[in-house]
Amino acid sequence: MKLELKKISKFFPGIKALQNVNFQLKENSIHALLGENGAGKSTLVKILCGVYQPDEGSIYIEKKQKNISNPATSLELGISAIHQESVMFDELSVMENIFIGNHIIKSNKLVDWSAMEKKTKELLGNLEADIKPDEKIKDLSIAQRHIVQISRSLVHDADIVIMDEPTASLSQKEIDELYSIIRNLKKNNKSIIFISHKLDEVLEVCDEFTVLRDGELIKTDLIANTNKDQLVTYMVGREINQIFPKKLVHIEDEIFNIKNFYKKTQFKNINFSLRKKEILGFYGLVGSGRSEVMKTIFGINKFDEGEINFNNKKITINKPKDAIKNGIVYLSEERQNLGMAGLMSVKDNINMAIMDKNSDYLILDKLKDLQNASELQEKLNIKVSYWSQLAQSLSGGNQQKTVIAKWLSTKPKILILDEPTKGIDVKSKSAVHEFMGELVDTGMSIIMISSELPEILGMCDRVVVMYKGLIKDILEVPNTSSEEIVKLASGE
Amino acid sequence: MIKLLKNRDFILFAIIIFGVILIGFANPFFVKPSSLSDVLTDTSILIILALSQMVVILIRAIDLSVASNLALSGMLISLLSTVYPELPVIFFILLSCLIGTFLGILNGVSIAILKVPFIVTTLGTLSIYRGLIYFVSDGKQVYSHEFSESFLALIHYKFLSLSFLFWVAIAVFIIMYLLLNHTKFGRNLYALGGNPEAAKYIGINENKYIILAYSISGFFAGLCGYLWVARYSVASTQIAIGFELTVISACVVGGISVMGGVGTVVGCTLGALLIGLIRNALPAVDISQFWQLAISGAIILIAIIINTKTEQRKDKTIMVE
Amino acid sequence: MMKNIIPENPPFKLLNILYKKEFILFMVLFIIILINSNVSPYFLDLYNLIDSTFIFSEKAIIALSMTFVIIARQIDLSVASIMAVASCVLGYTTSIGLDTYLIITFTLLSGIMCGAFNGFIITRFAIPSIIVTIGTMSLFRGLAYSFLEDQYYNKFPKFVVSLGSDYLFGYIPYAFLTFIILSLVFAFILHKTIIGKRIYSIGNNPESAQYTGIEVDKYTFVLFTLNGLFSAIAAIFLSGRLSSVRPNIAFGWELEIITMVVLGGVYIYGGSGSILGVVISIFILGMLSFGLGLLNVPGVGIIIFTGLLLILSIGFPSFIKYFRSKNE
Repeated sequence: MKLELKKISKFFPGIKALQNVNFQLKENSIHALLGENGAGKSTLVKILCGVYQPDEGSIYIEKKQKNISNPATSLELGISAIHQESVMFDELSVMENIFIGNHIIKSNKLVDWSAMEKKTKELLGNLEADIKPDEKIKDLSIAQRHIVQISRSLVHDADIVIMDEPTASLSQKEIDELYSIIRNLKKNNKSIIFISHKLDEVLEVCDEFTVLRDGELIKTDLIANTNKDQLVTYMVGREINQIFPKKLVHIEDEIFNIKNFYKKTQFKNINFSLRKKEILGFYGLVGSGRSEVMKTIFGINKFDEGEINFNNKKITINKPKDAIKNGIVYLSEERQNLGMAGLMSVKDNINMAIMDKNSDYLILDKLKDLQNASELQEKLNIKVSYWSQLAQSLSGGNQQKTVIAKWLSTKPKILILDEPTKGIDVKSKSAVHEFMGELVDTGMSIIMISSELPEILGMCDRVVVMYKGLIKDILEVPNTSSEEIVKLASGE
Repeated sequence: MIKLLKNRDFILFAIIIFGVILIGFANPFFVKPSSLSDVLTDTSILIILALSQMVVILIRAIDLSVASNLALSGMLISLLSTVYPELPVIFFILLSCLIGTFLGILNGVSIAILKVPFIVTTLGTLSIYRGLIYFVSDGKQVYSHEFSESFLALIHYKFLSLSFLFWVAIAVFIIMYLLLNHTKFGRNLYALGGNPEAAKYIGINENKYIILAYSISGFFAGLCGYLWVARYSVASTQIAIGFELTVISACVVGGISVMGGVGTVVGCTLGALLIGLIRNALPAVDISQFWQLAISGAIILIAIIINTKTEQRKDKTIMVE
Repeated sequence: MMKNIIPENPPFKLLNILYKKEFILFMVLFIIILINSNVSPYFLDLYNLIDSTFIFSEKAIIALSMTFVIIARQIDLSVASIMAVASCVLGYTTSIGLDTYLIITFTLLSGIMCGAFNGFIITRFAIPSIIVTIGTMSLFRGLAYSFLEDQYYNKFPKFVVSLGSDYLFGYIPYAFLTFIILSLVFAFILHKTIIGKRIYSIGNNPESAQYTGIEVDKYTFVLFTLNGLFSAIAAIFLSGRLSSVRPNIAFGWELEIITMVVLGGVYIYGGSGSILGVVISIFILGMLSFGLGLLNVPGVGIIIFTGLLLILSIGFPSFIKYFRSKNE
């Protein structure tokens, strides 16, 4: 038994993040930690990394009770984590990133650069990575950054490696390479805690699993003893038959198209159309240019050539204001920001994009603002106690709803969603998809950038596949396959 | 070779050399070794303060109180020396450093423990420390004749025709170079400034580093308190007023980024040298002293703009034409 | 069907008012007035109180536009230097004998241009305002020095002198009156118009504001230009009052102005704050200076006290928070 958590509990004001959780990590095991957002996974990880301290319970590493009081102790105890968010230092070299916090020191207290370089070359060689020790992190790809993070955990001689959504943002080839690295780690006596929302991946890579729900342990067992549907049931508490509950919608005529969009070094020959009530997917590897195209359409960036047509009329979009006026809104991928003003009231947040529509001469119209806010609060079921409440006091889910309410207030015709369900658990994903279906039913059209094939195949009517700034093809989803899409996206 | 030409520090160095030559044409007197040595001496305090300010800027903060710190430390030891003139000068130097460090620690504690943002803290201590000078000195000056011989003598000591002041600057340069490039503490500073959230996960204690950074800044401010007072043979409430801006300009010109985590010791020193060169060049080419402030301001703006244009990452190339 | 109507505010609890920033500030002001009036018989004298407003009115005017700047997550350290430039222009145009209205126009224009310069550099090159304004602080003051050298102006139009030192109806100083009127205007803009909401939005999250369709760069540019304009206005009042302009006029004022804003509860990193809080804090600092001055505390003591007040006003609440969380 490598690691054991006995009856761990952690409380925050008003929330039981973890309650009496038992968790066992065996030697040489790849152990999946599953659960929806808010189930307690990240709290558990933060406890293991020394960022939080448990309120109850005890931790045993190799049968000895340990107190993980801070991140430094966690590292000393052999626990290392690879996070979704960048725990990397862009301006420093690969070598420094690997050894950060743990530099090799000579007897005269100075850093031993040559020893570190040697060890770095060794580690990178073992992982068969084509990376030089003195390259700066900011010049590396995401997959390469993961390798550097893995090297870092090896340097710390970590026996317990926690991987949090390690394959998000990776191409298929990079994912396969990562899997083989993980299997190698297992062969080298590391135990791995593997967190992922991709159940197929979990079934393929892991040996055991533990499911948390609402801070409690639901089930622990061998992967061999379960299947995808069962896992979903454990995570959600009830059966979900359809992960993509898409309403059947009668797609109407074209309302929008882009002609010959071109931006130097970014994208070229971008031509596509969008029909009313259609969900148009944009698939491609990270860095293929999808977000760049959309941000340019929305007016965030300028383009060199091209034409935007809406309802058969050429329109000009020079800034987001123009796009919004034309009924185009953009929900960005950067969810950290949440597109929200935390220190402003919920009411102000909801009304932020339409204040000028509601008012005369720039003076706020309290009544119209209140009406709009009430309407949307009801529609989206936003839990708020009073209007002047600060947005940052809402729960995460309600914050997201507030942002959506803001956009829906503008009565958009076209919604551009950039990775709307990235990193979201099964139940919430399903809710988002259902909501998308309702929106198109009311007459909206959606452009969805996604890197998850099942989502594209399940939700979209057509998909635009991009590679290195160019459109490889536009396919009708019912007439295509995942293999065809993946091939195009990798450049073939 | 091309890489060298694009290297920021090298460009700065080239500008300095070019500048010296240019000024030499206008005023040959300027390039005499003794004049150049005077310029170096004059810039020494700026170099020391710029290097210590660099430590703070690296972790995404600024220390606006350095000049007031310097002046207060200098005044305190000057007053003490008039009462106990027989004490060895090394005592006063160490005391000045100690006072400066203490004042720096106060900054650090306010920012790290009381969570008062650094802008507010150092704006506050800028006034408080400056005000305290009046308090302790009753608004009066300490004149040159009131200092003991030993107090002032050290400054005029020359070795290899370079002044004591400049040797101190060289020593500080070496210490900072080792500290920032070859110690765990230094490398962790870069990490903390580059990505504060990640640094926490690595186990770097942000509060500890903030307090240490401001202590270092305060230490050298204290040291320069002695150096300044001894050099100009006067301690008053007015010394070094506004100097913190010059120090920050030197850092910015030297390539230290206000966003944190970026900057080299060599660059910082060159930045200070360039600023010092300009300050000394103006009288040499007959430009009235009154233009100095405007020119410094213009230089810092030009430097930041150039800095930013090269720093800002161009859009990553997605498509090859 | 009973619709669940959401109230605007939480149920009214007297206790909640006690926690509001503005109330605490008001209490502090009250205490200061109480202490001062007990300690010095001259304090509550009406004429003395009126005259005391002269010291802070010019700074107060700039503090109002500075409030907008700080709420928008920016800072402007160059205001005092812009005052110097504007004062020079005022003195110069007077000395070459232009008409009064032209003098005023050019002076205001100089402030606007300086502010616009700030705004341009900040938005065009996306450089943090703290650094840009540290640079322009030197540049503008330097221009004043290089223009005046060691001379000074002491002739100004009668209109200007009267603005700076006279009273409306013999009772209310023009400078103070201007400040009060402007504070009402600014309060209205900030709390009752779209412009105000957008400024808050920019201060909360500039990127999100941009995506919402707010032209962040435009607003930033205008805010800095406005700061320049108001610095010029303050310079007119100040020059009129002092009847003398040297290049070191208003030296160090930027710190006092920022203190007024931050002490007033405006969060230094932007996104929240109110005009009311700033106005109360202006009175706090004003009464403090005045009271201490009556007690013959040297100007320097006031400076030290102000610095301490600034730090403690933020440090104390967070210290209490820390204490509370330890006890939970």
